[in-house]
Amino acid sequence: MKPFLHAEDLERHRESLVAAYDPDRVRITVCGGTGCNAQGSVKLVAALRDAVGRHGLAADVEVKVTGCHGFCEKGPIVVVRPANVFYVQVKAEDADELVRVTLKDNAIVERLLYHDPASGTRVVHEQDVPFYAKQTRVILAENGHLDPTSIDDYILRGGYSALAKALTAMRPEDVIAEVKQAGLRGRGGAGFPTGVKWELCRKQPGADKYVICNADEGDPGAYMNRSEIEGNPHLILEGMIIGAYAIGARHAYIYCRAEYPLAIEQLTRGIAQARECGLLGEDILGSGFSLDFVIKQGAGAFVCGEETALMHSIEGKRGMPTPRPPFPAQSGVFGKPSNINNVETWANVPLIVNRGAAWFSGIGSEKSKGTKVFSLVGCVNNTGLVEVPFGTSVRTIVEDIGGGTPRGRKFKAAQMGGPSGGCIPAAAIDTPVDYESLQALGAIVGSGGMVVMDDSTCMVDLAKYFMEFIQSESCGKCIPCREGTRRMKEILDALTRPRRKEGGVDALLRMQGLMQLEELAETIKTTALCGLGQTAPNPVLSTLRFFRDEYEAHLYDRQCPAGSCKELVGAPCQNACPAGTEVWRYVAHVARGEYNDAFRVIRDANPFPSACARVCHHPCEKSCRAGASGGGEPIAIRSLKRFVVDRVPASTYRPLARRPGTKSARVAVVGAGPAGLTAAHQLSLLGHRVTVFEREAVPGGMLVGAIPAYRLPRERLSAEIEELLNDNLDLRTGAALGRDFTVDGLLADGYKAVYLALGSHQSKTLDLPGEDAAGVIPGIRFLKAYNLHGEGLARGRVGIVGGGNSAMDAARVALRQPGVESVTMFYRRSREEMPAYAEEIEAGLAEGVAIEELVAPLAVHTKDGRLVGVRFQRNRLSEPDASGRRKPEPIPGSEFDAPLDTLIVAISEAPEAGLLDGLKLTKWGTLAANPESCLTSRPGVFAGGDVTTGPSTVIGAIAAGKRAAMMIDRYVNGKLLRVLPKVKLPSVFVAPAGDADDEGAPPAERVRTPHLPLAARVGNFDEVELCISEADACGEAHRCMRCDLEFTQPV
Amino acid sequence: MDTVTIEANGRKLEARRGEPILAALKRAGIHVPTLCHVEGLTPTGACRLCVVEVDGARNLVPSCSFPVADGMRIKSDSPRVIAARRTLVELLLANHPDDCLFCGRSGSCQLQTLSQDLGVRQRRYHGVKNAHSRDVSSPSIVRDPDKCVLCGKCVRVCEEVQGVAAIDFIGRGSHAFVGTAFDKGLNVSSCINCGQCVVACPTGALQERSNVDDVLRALADPELFVVAQHAPAVSVSIAEEFGMKAGVDIDGAMVAALRRVGFKRVFDTSFTADLTIMEEGSELAHRIANGGVLPMMTSCSPGWIKFVETFYPEFRANLSTCKSPQQMMGAVIKTYFTEREGLDPAKVVSVSIMPCTAKKFEATRPEMGRDNVPDVDYVLTTRELAELLRITGVDPAAVEPETADTPFGERSSAGKLFGATGGVTEAAVRSVHWLLTGRELEHLEVAKARGLDGCKEMRVRIGDLEVGAVVVSSLGEARKLLDQVKAGERKDIQFIEVMTCPGGCINGGGQPLGIGREAIAARMKALYRIDRGASVRVSHRNESVQRLYDEFLGKPLGERSHHLLHTHYTERDVLV
Repeated sequence: MKPFLHAEDLERHRESLVAAYDPDRVRITVCGGTGCNAQGSVKLVAALRDAVGRHGLAADVEVKVTGCHGFCEKGPIVVVRPANVFYVQVKAEDADELVRVTLKDNAIVERLLYHDPASGTRVVHEQDVPFYAKQTRVILAENGHLDPTSIDDYILRGGYSALAKALTAMRPEDVIAEVKQAGLRGRGGAGFPTGVKWELCRKQPGADKYVICNADEGDPGAYMNRSEIEGNPHLILEGMIIGAYAIGARHAYIYCRAEYPLAIEQLTRGIAQARECGLLGEDILGSGFSLDFVIKQGAGAFVCGEETALMHSIEGKRGMPTPRPPFPAQSGVFGKPSNINNVETWANVPLIVNRGAAWFSGIGSEKSKGTKVFSLVGCVNNTGLVEVPFGTSVRTIVEDIGGGTPRGRKFKAAQMGGPSGGCIPAAAIDTPVDYESLQALGAIVGSGGMVVMDDSTCMVDLAKYFMEFIQSESCGKCIPCREGTRRMKEILDALTRPRRKEGGVDALLRMQGLMQLEELAETIKTTALCGLGQTAPNPVLSTLRFFRDEYEAHLYDRQCPAGSCKELVGAPCQNACPAGTEVWRYVAHVARGEYNDAFRVIRDANPFPSACARVCHHPCEKSCRAGASGGGEPIAIRSLKRFVVDRVPASTYRPLARRPGTKSARVAVVGAGPAGLTAAHQLSLLGHRVTVFEREAVPGGMLVGAIPAYRLPRERLSAEIEELLNDNLDLRTGAALGRDFTVDGLLADGYKAVYLALGSHQSKTLDLPGEDAAGVIPGIRFLKAYNLHGEGLARGRVGIVGGGNSAMDAARVALRQPGVESVTMFYRRSREEMPAYAEEIEAGLAEGVAIEELVAPLAVHTKDGRLVGVRFQRNRLSEPDASGRRKPEPIPGSEFDAPLDTLIVAISEAPEAGLLDGLKLTKWGTLAANPESCLTSRPGVFAGGDVTTGPSTVIGAIAAGKRAAMMIDRYVNGKLLRVLPKVKLPSVFVAPAGDADDEGAPPAERVRTPHLPLAARVGNFDEVELCISEADACGEAHRCMRCDLEFTQPV
Repeated sequence: MDTVTIEANGRKLEARRGEPILAALKRAGIHVPTLCHVEGLTPTGACRLCVVEVDGARNLVPSCSFPVADGMRIKSDSPRVIAARRTLVELLLANHPDDCLFCGRSGSCQLQTLSQDLGVRQRRYHGVKNAHSRDVSSPSIVRDPDKCVLCGKCVRVCEEVQGVAAIDFIGRGSHAFVGTAFDKGLNVSSCINCGQCVVACPTGALQERSNVDDVLRALADPELFVVAQHAPAVSVSIAEEFGMKAGVDIDGAMVAALRRVGFKRVFDTSFTADLTIMEEGSELAHRIANGGVLPMMTSCSPGWIKFVETFYPEFRANLSTCKSPQQMMGAVIKTYFTEREGLDPAKVVSVSIMPCTAKKFEATRPEMGRDNVPDVDYVLTTRELAELLRITGVDPAAVEPETADTPFGERSSAGKLFGATGGVTEAAVRSVHWLLTGRELEHLEVAKARGLDGCKEMRVRIGDLEVGAVVVSSLGEARKLLDQVKAGERKDIQFIEVMTCPGGCINGGGQPLGIGREAIAARMKALYRIDRGASVRVSHRNESVQRLYDEFLGKPLGERSHHLLHTHYTERDVLV
């Protein structure tokens, strides 16, 4: 091509291109970004071209490779223009169908459309995909349209017009003034005003000046610069040429990491094209201004993103930072005045010159103007490049654009700005993303990496990861960064490891370590030589600031609350079980067909295997790695347990009780619920003589009183309790505390210790007038009336207030009672936030329970002392609270009346305070007991389970009972009521089942637990959930990833 | 002068506009600790120990590189500053081998001093320490990367002062260390053994390869006849090792001390310096007269010789073929002296006391001996001699001065001037003048050759002849000059004196540590003082030299001289 000698030549060329361009021509654009290429886009392009030819469309249809669309999660992406049909995850095999259906039949290939999980619909047009709908694409606007290998395509779409404008109609000072007025700030990190920076460099004496583009993108998980270059290289070149003109620079460098071969290829081609067109080189467009480019490939050292290190690297020296002053503007590369900006900063320049400062400053927030591209990665449904105006909230980015966190996990935090940044915790999810707001939270915009973390991420582990990164990427020059970061990393290592020895120096060192973390962080921050070092401690400071409790859990309790630190967690399933069940072990036995062994493992940890096999909320499944990091669904652990307990008779394994001896004592246990019976049973095994007092006629506590028989058959429960009794254990039913005996009396009778496991039986009230009317029933009373006495209290139209498991149980029990017309649950938050177990909610809905979400009762209407209806008000969700949950807030004027004949109030339960006379209570009205020793305010009197915690889980109560038994045993033997927390790592090797090694096999799906057909459930209390088959159990057990082997596999 | 007013620790100070804070504070008597700072070189800001608090700055600022500004308020003693410095030193200690009791730098170690000065009394940081193997491949220098604090001074001295760049940083983060190209031994690197890195090193990471034990063993062996020679620059610096101030000449006491230690004879290398002048002067006169290769370059500094062989082999022919005074002494000891005394050369151990680590390398060169018997068996640096005296319990301050032994004990003060940069030139001018004109110079002192400047140029009239001479010290300066010569820009020079170390041997790599420019100037002055007061001030008037020619060598550049006193050079192929 002939070089353009003047701006008019360029315009003339553009006009000829526009004239030749047919906007209505059919173009199949295929994303050619690195992400899509990795997913097969190169083959796809060939297949599409082939298909177009085969269908005889070669003359009418163009297959065009464009830059990155940013929705890398769904690549390769194909858009058929001008109709804008948006296809995702297109494979080469789909090419023929795509061409035939879309272009020949004028229809749409439904299966290739984007499926929106929120609405459940398929989206046809790109702009309607939620991922794009809330973005403002300015920098990335052309990426999906432009062929990055063609300068003509760029010129056609307005390219280099900003350069022409700057060179012909603006003085360099005018360009700087425009950029300053636009409020453009550096996109590489600290956000220094770009125009001011340019001005500083312009004002330096000397004719030899440099402009540099920093394309050394090194943050883990960040790739926006890469896509910006790959998708639109000329935009960056044009920005740099304009910048060089404004600054008065003659030389330009692009420092790009060698790991970005496609970016380097596009830039190299782009520079050659621009040079050929006279847009680079001597006397550009006849303006007298000259500039040439050099691409310098970086070897990938993170520190080379730091400007002084980068410039040394350009000079061929070791990439090590030097002190500033002198600043690059004074003495930069080769000792000459230099101006260095990030890729995205340069990319903004042509847009500002073309559209004006006012347009640009109209986008964004008060002090942060324009848009920013983020690479949204991590635990988020839609990963990819997101361009939003500054000031957009983290919530919008994560939830609306990113589609929230996958697998129903909770958003925990977003790490912003890579290793130099910090995290935004869930409570601050509504923070607007701009320079100042993020800085206030200890994070930074950085270059725009945004790593989303859910509640399975351990923040100590995260900090450790970044410290590991930093300490190996530090250049090693200054002491604080080189030596300090490695010590910080070691301290974090020590925190996430079990003790080497119990107590002593090791423990002390760890304690010191946590204190030193902050001290080291402070020293590094204030004394390190360069930006990399000064920000190196940020991940630790940030996580310490928002997640200090996690650090403390690691330090004091040797626990990783997120279940992620391997050396503390061992097998996550075992770690998650409050009772410490070796889940991995019995699952392994099931896989081997060793069901008796499996039962033994279950029973060893848990005296209520059969009950837990049915009603446990299975925290083990939530933390199962097959579900979390495995990307699939967790092992159906509870169903496997059910399979084992249904198959193996309980008599197979009955732990032997020690005979009472010198170390034995008499112990009274009050309450025969899971906590009381577990404690009593464990104490009896240790040889103590235990008497259990139970107020009701049957033992079982909430297991029998609250949980309906369709979930836990009565005969299974009573058989299980029968198994727990032995010579050392005396169960007395019908004996109520306060009525038949007192704590004083027990102690006077010679009981050495008393364990209060009274449960939480007092339903909380709504505190509304009319609540005492007939037809308004407290939830627990309603359930007990039926479960213990066979009394059906519900009739007509039944309403239930509450969203927990008791409310759900009440609803489903009511549904089974004669004379009930309908059952509706009224819950103040949204359905997703209901605390009841998801499978219970589903079963309830299936059986016919209706749910009214976001409503709160205002008044109870009565007639003649009897309930006739309830007035409700609708809620909407507002600002999130500290836990990140949005608070319900009443909508004025949204009141409505619901006619009801029965209202069951199941909002929560509390202990019966009257029984706890003389013992200290907590501010929530529960019995105060030391969580470590289980001791109440009275010596010899212990407590645990729901009476101390409020309504909680079965397995939690069992764990409490086990702990109490250990403490009471220590108490009666005069030992210290304290045990150091121990890390329980898998210690027994169970060989994997023989056929476990077929790695190539597709991952099997989680087994679906069979349920009693809906029709068979009506009006009866037959067990709803059924047992899985042996084949299913075996298959499911084989899905286990065997996290234990890491610890137990013999070397 | 453009001055600004600053406030430091509550006190108003005048400072030069744009100078680093550190310099201003130092002038005001405020000590700021540093590890990486090298006077005269661009600050690198690596150690961060010099940080101070500056009002308005978010972080602490490094005073070594941060310029003062008018009205600047500085605190160098605030709790924040002290805590930061202490933490930095503690971090260094956490990665240090902690073997002070066994370390050659104990007592002269800056890390030790810093730790003491900052009151570090507790081992708070623990963790993994780097573990490298010691590099003992070089005959001159032992590298122990585990003791390295990565201040980078050695790297900068090697590159910026000496222009050699044999060592640099390798690796990243906490794994970074200072090493040679491809992390091979120093012996196969481009190291020229000068030992300036050892002088720069604040810790025990770089030390000379010690021969003290070898010498002790030899001295204790009744079969062996151990003789010593001592270089001109040693007597004016060793006093510092015994608490005396810089610039005190204890030549006589040192000779006496060496005898106490057990050396059978003590010779003065300045004697062979005079001999060198006779040979080298004659060589220069010969080259000028016969159209030999010019400019002729001196050959007494072994680091320089290796530098030419490594980096500028094309200049080998320009080097004087004269051996260095050390090797000339070695050669005459193992020939003339043994013959005269009726000793078996194999039973004579020749030990030289040098201000230099490169001399250790020189002594091992294969051409420096006969029949597999080296001319110089062991080389001790000034520091090693001090150690030897301390081990054997000889206090040079408490002995009566004695004179050196015949036949190689007599010297002219011209030979003594070899210890400082310009000395060789000055001695040569004095004797060449006599050689060519037969007359003595009127003014013996060549002022332009004196002083600590790195490059000194002069034109010297010798009879009808005008000789252009350039005196450079430090190889960085030598490199600049060689590049000019190479480019054909310096046809005006006939004679070039090169000393490897800046300032010459008085600042050699084997000299007492922890001294500044003032001490080097004092050592230099001491040499000039000796010259001023000397009775024999020209090499050709050294009667013992004349006797040596008469009895043994014949005449300068004669056949025997050629065999014993001259040498040749090889091109060196090193990794980088």
